Amino acid sequence: MAIFGLWVINKAGGLVYQRNFADGLAQLTSNEYLVLAGTLHGIHAITSRLSPTGSSSGAHVIEAETFKMTILLTPTGTKFVLLTSLAETSANAVLQKVYEAYADGVMKNPFHTPDMPIRSEVFDTKIAALIEPGHT
Amino acid sequence: MTIYCLYIFDRHCNCVYYHDWHRTKRPRRADEGGGLLLGVSHAISPLPSSAPNSTPETPFTSPRNTLSTGSGVLVAYSGDSIQSQQSTAQSALPLLQTQGAGAPSVVTPSTSSPGLPFDEEAKLVYGRLSGRDESFVSYRTSTYKLHLFETVSGYRFVMLSDPNAESLRFVMRSIYTGPFLEYVVRNPLALMDSRERGIDNEYFRASVDRLIRGLSVFQ
Repeated sequence: MAIFGLWVINKAGGLVYQRNFADGLAQLTSNEYLVLAGTLHGIHAITSRLSPTGSSSGAHVIEAETFKMTILLTPTGTKFVLLTSLAETSANAVLQKVYEAYADGVMKNPFHTPDMPIRSEVFDTKIAALIEPGHT
Repeated sequence: MTIYCLYIFDRHCNCVYYHDWHRTKRPRRADEGGGLLLGVSHAISPLPSSAPNSTPETPFTSPRNTLSTGSGVLVAYSGDSIQSQQSTAQSALPLLQTQGAGAPSVVTPSTSSPGLPFDEEAKLVYGRLSGRDESFVSYRTSTYKLHLFETVSGYRFVMLSDPNAESLRFVMRSIYTGPFLEYVVRNPLALMDSRERGIDNEYFRASVDRLIRGLSVFQ
């Protein structure tokens, strides 16, 4: 049970927020994170086209052998991505809370430009309070 | 709970086999020259062009010709074998359907299918698969779940199933160790790794079909 990281991807596929919560993760440059986020954005679009039965959403959960990514797509196109261990069951609930924190701490900030990188102390502290106490 | 379809990709990223079961939204037939190999699945293989094939092959290069003789079924698996039996594509189409009893996946080619052409769909499916050193296993959307199993020889088995299904890696593994080994690897007439032709043959298809239909997740 562990939460490794959180990404927020805007509707154009740009990474606007990225934060790690665990030690010992691979250190990537910010450019690499941007590339990964853009790739995920494309994958998400493709997965919704591959449905064998009618229309489908994009991927909700992507599982690998050692971790999984849970993706929450909001109606405005912003994606919240949570990287967790495979056993983590609270990912969806955490993402909903992150979305609330985003609405309160970022979207209600009159100085925030939509779809630009999030630099908000309020959001940072809300996320820290949400994720870190139980998982450090 | 159900299973929708199975793709097998070789190490050259080509789709070499395709089999579907409960698909309501079927892929369209691949366009001629769309990069799809012959003998992947007769349901979605490119239609043989009415022009004579520019690269004539002897009947023995097609393993199906030999395999089909005992069954008494006129088999039209791929473009060139149809070509040798029928002069036009139009008259070849009913042949594909006469085989329906033996191969449940055979469908009448749908002209109004809304899906992607098969070759594009296969490329998109392949594009989802990551490299050897990574460890992608599956992903889930609201309507389906995609499972991946990769062999050491570079074959990638991909299965689409119901989103609530458990991991199907054991199924793909048993396809690999069972029918794939028995009817493809041990078949001296199957062209492995040819980059021109898929690995589809009657016995492999029937055996995979039996295996999948015997699963408890398949309904």
